[in-house]
Amino acid sequence: MRRSLIHFRGLHTAVLLSSAAATAVLTGALLVGDSVRGSLRDLTLERLGRIDHALVAQPFFRQELSADLAAELSFAASFEDVVPAILLSGSALDAHTRNRASRIQVIGVDWDFASLEGPEGPAATVLEQLRGMPDRHFAPVVINQSLQKELQVEIGDPILLSIERRSEIHREYVFGRRNSAAVIQTLRLTLSGVVPDRGLGRLALHPHQNLPLNAFVALADLQKALGRKGQVNALFAVAGESPGSTGSTRTLQDALHRVLRLEDLGLSLRTGSGFFALEAESFILPRHVTATARELALEMGAPFQPILTNLATRITFKDRSVPYSTIAALDAVQREGSPFGVFELTDGSPAPLLAEDEILLNEWAARDLGAETGDMIEVTYHVVGSRGMLRTATDRFRLSGVVALRGMAADPLLTPAFPGIQNVDDMSDWDPPFAIDLSAIRDRDEAYWDEFGAAPKAFIAAGAGRSLWRSRFGDLTGMWIAPPAHADEPEVRLHFQRELLRRTGPGVEGMSFQPVKSRSLEAAAGATDFAMLFMGFSSFLIFSSALMVGLIFRLGVEQRAKEIGVLLAMGYPLAFVRWRFMAEGGVLAALGSAVGIGGAVLYAWLLMAGLRSSWSAAAGTPFLDLHVQPLSLASGYMVSVAVVLAFIGWTVRQCGRQPVRALLNGTVAGRKAGSRRRTRVVAIACLGSGGASVSLTSFVDSAVAAGLFFAGGTLLLVAGLALLSLWLGRDRGRGLSGAGSDCARLVRMGIRNSSRHHGRSMVCAALVGCACFIIVAVEANRRTATEDAASGLKESGHGGFALLAEADIPLHHDLNSPRGREELGFAGGDAVFQRGTRIFSLRSLPGEDISCLNLYQPQRPKLLGVPAELIHRGGFRFQQTLEDVENPWSLLEEELEPGVIAAIGDYNSVQWILHRGLGEDLLVQDGMGRDLRLRLVGLLKDSIFQGELLISETNFNHYFPDHSGFGYFLVQTAGERAAHLSSILEGSLGAFGFDVTPTAERLAEYRAVENTYLSTFQVLGGLGLLWGTLGLGVLLLRNAIERRGELATLRACGFRNSRLALMLLAENGFLLGTGIFMGALAALVAVAPRVLSSGAQVPWLSLALSLSLVLAAGLAASASAAHWALRQPLLPALKTDQGVVRAGQISTI
Amino acid sequence: MDDHFTLRVSQVGKSFAGVQVLDGVSFELTQGQSLAVTGPSGSGKSTLLHLIGTLEPPSSGRITIAGRDPFALREREVAAFRNQIIGFVFQDHHLLPQYSVLENVLVPTMVFRRKGEDVEERALELLRAVGLSHRLHHFPGELSGGESQRVAVARALVNNPRLLLCDEPTGNLDHTTAAAVAALLLELHRSEQTILIAVTHNLDLAASFDRRIELKGGNCVEV
Repeated sequence: MRRSLIHFRGLHTAVLLSSAAATAVLTGALLVGDSVRGSLRDLTLERLGRIDHALVAQPFFRQELSADLAAELSFAASFEDVVPAILLSGSALDAHTRNRASRIQVIGVDWDFASLEGPEGPAATVLEQLRGMPDRHFAPVVINQSLQKELQVEIGDPILLSIERRSEIHREYVFGRRNSAAVIQTLRLTLSGVVPDRGLGRLALHPHQNLPLNAFVALADLQKALGRKGQVNALFAVAGESPGSTGSTRTLQDALHRVLRLEDLGLSLRTGSGFFALEAESFILPRHVTATARELALEMGAPFQPILTNLATRITFKDRSVPYSTIAALDAVQREGSPFGVFELTDGSPAPLLAEDEILLNEWAARDLGAETGDMIEVTYHVVGSRGMLRTATDRFRLSGVVALRGMAADPLLTPAFPGIQNVDDMSDWDPPFAIDLSAIRDRDEAYWDEFGAAPKAFIAAGAGRSLWRSRFGDLTGMWIAPPAHADEPEVRLHFQRELLRRTGPGVEGMSFQPVKSRSLEAAAGATDFAMLFMGFSSFLIFSSALMVGLIFRLGVEQRAKEIGVLLAMGYPLAFVRWRFMAEGGVLAALGSAVGIGGAVLYAWLLMAGLRSSWSAAAGTPFLDLHVQPLSLASGYMVSVAVVLAFIGWTVRQCGRQPVRALLNGTVAGRKAGSRRRTRVVAIACLGSGGASVSLTSFVDSAVAAGLFFAGGTLLLVAGLALLSLWLGRDRGRGLSGAGSDCARLVRMGIRNSSRHHGRSMVCAALVGCACFIIVAVEANRRTATEDAASGLKESGHGGFALLAEADIPLHHDLNSPRGREELGFAGGDAVFQRGTRIFSLRSLPGEDISCLNLYQPQRPKLLGVPAELIHRGGFRFQQTLEDVENPWSLLEEELEPGVIAAIGDYNSVQWILHRGLGEDLLVQDGMGRDLRLRLVGLLKDSIFQGELLISETNFNHYFPDHSGFGYFLVQTAGERAAHLSSILEGSLGAFGFDVTPTAERLAEYRAVENTYLSTFQVLGGLGLLWGTLGLGVLLLRNAIERRGELATLRACGFRNSRLALMLLAENGFLLGTGIFMGALAALVAVAPRVLSSGAQVPWLSLALSLSLVLAAGLAASASAAHWALRQPLLPALKTDQGVVRAGQISTI
Repeated sequence: MDDHFTLRVSQVGKSFAGVQVLDGVSFELTQGQSLAVTGPSGSGKSTLLHLIGTLEPPSSGRITIAGRDPFALREREVAAFRNQIIGFVFQDHHLLPQYSVLENVLVPTMVFRRKGEDVEERALELLRAVGLSHRLHHFPGELSGGESQRVAVARALVNNPRLLLCDEPTGNLDHTTAAAVAALLLELHRSEQTILIAVTHNLDLAASFDRRIELKGGNCVEV
């Protein structure tokens, strides 16, 4: 075998190189997958430093919590460090140039921050630079390079950071403050340093490859500015590095619960007379806290009194009214012996149980109003209307008694700390979050305030209170709990506190540690398996290379046909001969694939370089580096060897079927009649099924249509190849002679020559045809951003919206109303809002980008709450819906089983990024940390919502009650006004980080990624075509060399070299042209239904150009091969037997 | 074409890479004459045939065919000259396997065809003459060695050449077939009134020719 390998070294070198190419492409694709995964992993480790777990809470909590946690024994056993911080989102503005950057992270750090990274990392630099410039009037800020690039600032420049002002009271609660000044806090800082975009300089907890915009502020400075001295909202935990000390989230969370205090959760226990009152900083007790407290009290056998207190702007009887009074709704009026104090009428009798339409006034109010039992009392109070606007409501109650102002009725604990009302000496000093008519406050009101404070002047039934004042945030303002009989109050209180903390801790939004590093590392596996993606992209190249191996090996076997014949004639078994060749092939495949491993690294490196530079639309940032995993090399090597051997085995098997006589004559050819019949059947079957598949693409959804498109196109191509095969093998008794010029006759001869080596010709045509099919199909499917952007159609990717906007700080006012805009600080611009412009505000739950722009596998998708008005408006195109309804958006309002809500997503993101389908559920956590299943009831087609999932606003409010305001906006306006409106919105709402994007631009971003993948596919298809062309050249050379005797004879017959070249060129040109024609035709027929139905433009010009280039390149290769072949001396072939080529001759190919 | 077609070979020499294969070969043949060229292997028989067939120019001396020096012509004219004046038959038939018998015969007519010429009729006539009219649409792979060589003879004559050059035309054939092909060649030579030059080792065949020269050491001796 060694001798054979050496003797046929030329041919074997070609086989070896082809094997190397196949291995390089196949293994290279695996390395691309390794590289993307490895780069994302590196990025995760870099941007998180030593942070393993992070806790980012909605409410602020004690900074000492970190010290308490660090001192916890279970923490110390498994964790090394915990660092407190403040983490907020906002926007930044260069005070001089007014350059603005939105979606920035404001990070308040103290000196422990450096421990999250090595001493050489940017964290240490941040702290060093924050310590600088002590003589400045303003606190220092350090930003990362990306933010500096956005703002174009220099050291010493003033920077304004706008962040959301934290509010204990939910902004959408009746006592929440929603005006701009209350929502936005602007900090003026001086830039003291810039840190590189590496290490913690690019700190980001959400996995995304894009560079975050970070601004670091000293923790103390930020706390002071926020009025949160000694408070933070984030903790970063570092797990131990020693074996066995790796901390788990569970350990960490348990340790946290042991050191948490009620104040960390925004709760407090106020001491009453023989009882304690559970209250919340947010004024209203969260539902889950209420439920837990009730459950605990029942378990402990402790009497409890739920309380819902509200503020009435007016209590009226006839023409007399009492302004600004609190009213308490009580579960059941306590009778004699109540641990909460007496609650009795003025005559000393117990207060009656109240019906829903009944009210009790205290003696002061009844006297002031002159009301008596049985009178109808009107109560006027504030409610929150749509889009956060306050309005007043009035209800009538029948007075069922007058309560004595003593005992429980006079207890100020019935009223929790009212924002802007509590702790002021006079009612005239009130600063409530709504307009107050100070002139309505009388001296006797002030006197009541002085004597009884915020004690309620009226009482209604708990049921009535709930129906009037309940909100999504809760339905109680407090709960009084008394110790059971004979129990010690402090002990009961301590037990209640501990249990309440244990049971409610995780329910407070964000008050739980997340394993950010391990989750990010999991996500680094990527939303898209790039190995498979590039394997798919390279499949044609791999196929071409393997086919080339088979082709060249076949040439070698054909060249050695006599040798095979002699061996068989001498009695060698066929299996022995086959195995002999297979062994040679195996050695060549093994050696070639080994060479190809080096090529694979180069191939992957080139692809990564491409992704880093010109294909940055897909990669986002140039962070991708080459990563080589030995496992990928090994598996790529083995698969390549197997593929190459399979092709070699097929070739050897084909040759072994030849009769010995034919082999002894040196011929390996011949097609049987049966194969023609089979080919005819294949042609008809493929034509029919291909045509049917293509026709069906118009009637099925695009997921199936894509499959049908490729299946149909492939079948049509196979049908075309089968027809070509039939034509090549047809009865050829006619057609050579006939009229025409010499050239025409030579062209006819050339075309006829293509039938001489049927198999070779078919391989060439198939290679070229497949490559052209890919090129044309990809080009015809390439979409432009303007496809429907300009249409303004509701049923389109942009839904008829010209602009979309996102705000870092949620807005709480309606942009469509002049009053809402006034509250938001708009100065003018009303005209542009009035002329057919409508803005839909959507609630937005921060989460991970689920579009193709995020290379990580998202685990917590961003959610949008779709308002009812948008649901009823409808619009956008749907790829699939769970039910066939007129307006698929209405499916969002359908009630599903408990713990499951309807969701809509974009088909592309759901299918390819989340790897889900219609009707499937996606598990997320609701605002209380409970499992919530999002059922995909509709999938949008190529929409602007590729980065998020949509649920109804009703469900959003129910499951994520702590989130307030609107962070996502859709702007419906005439195209010509869009730019003007955009500048007005961004100018007026800059402090909110309001970022407006034309919907066409957003769609173009998504399409750029898709088109990048198409380009990749096309480029690699083009490389495959190059292989095909090379194969064509090899065949031409081989044919020419084999037919040197024939060519010499023709020359002897008076054929000049130029004529012979023309004939050879016609032969190859025919195969090339036929391949191009068949590939292009199959692709165009397959793509026709989509083009006809969508009205999409086929880029004819670029298609024609691409195919012309293919033809030109192929002809050039053929011409070179013909030129080379005819330059060789032909006359010796007249003496040799059939001009059979010696081994050395082919080595020059 | 003039009526007195003459081939003159004067002091023709040919060397390859310093090796003198032919040296001062001279002879003259007129229309209707036949010449057998014999000699040991490597004596330059085929080379002489290639020189006369204008496939290669001589290193020295002069060859004139019908009074014209073909090597003074331009490449295109040489090709046309060869196509119209000269016919070749090789030891191996060099038939094109993808063409039928009839098409193979027609191959030389694919270039330099004169307008109005009925080449197909001529091909059929020749195939009838070589006894293969029943095999018109068969392919070379379906023919015997003798049949293939007869097709090659028909192909050589399809353009009515005045000079028929045969390089060991029966070298690959058995004795009987070789005799038949030789007889056919001579018969056609006589009927077509060509100058026939055949290189052969077969002295019996050579004896049937009008003249015979033997090449030895690059020189020729008329036997």
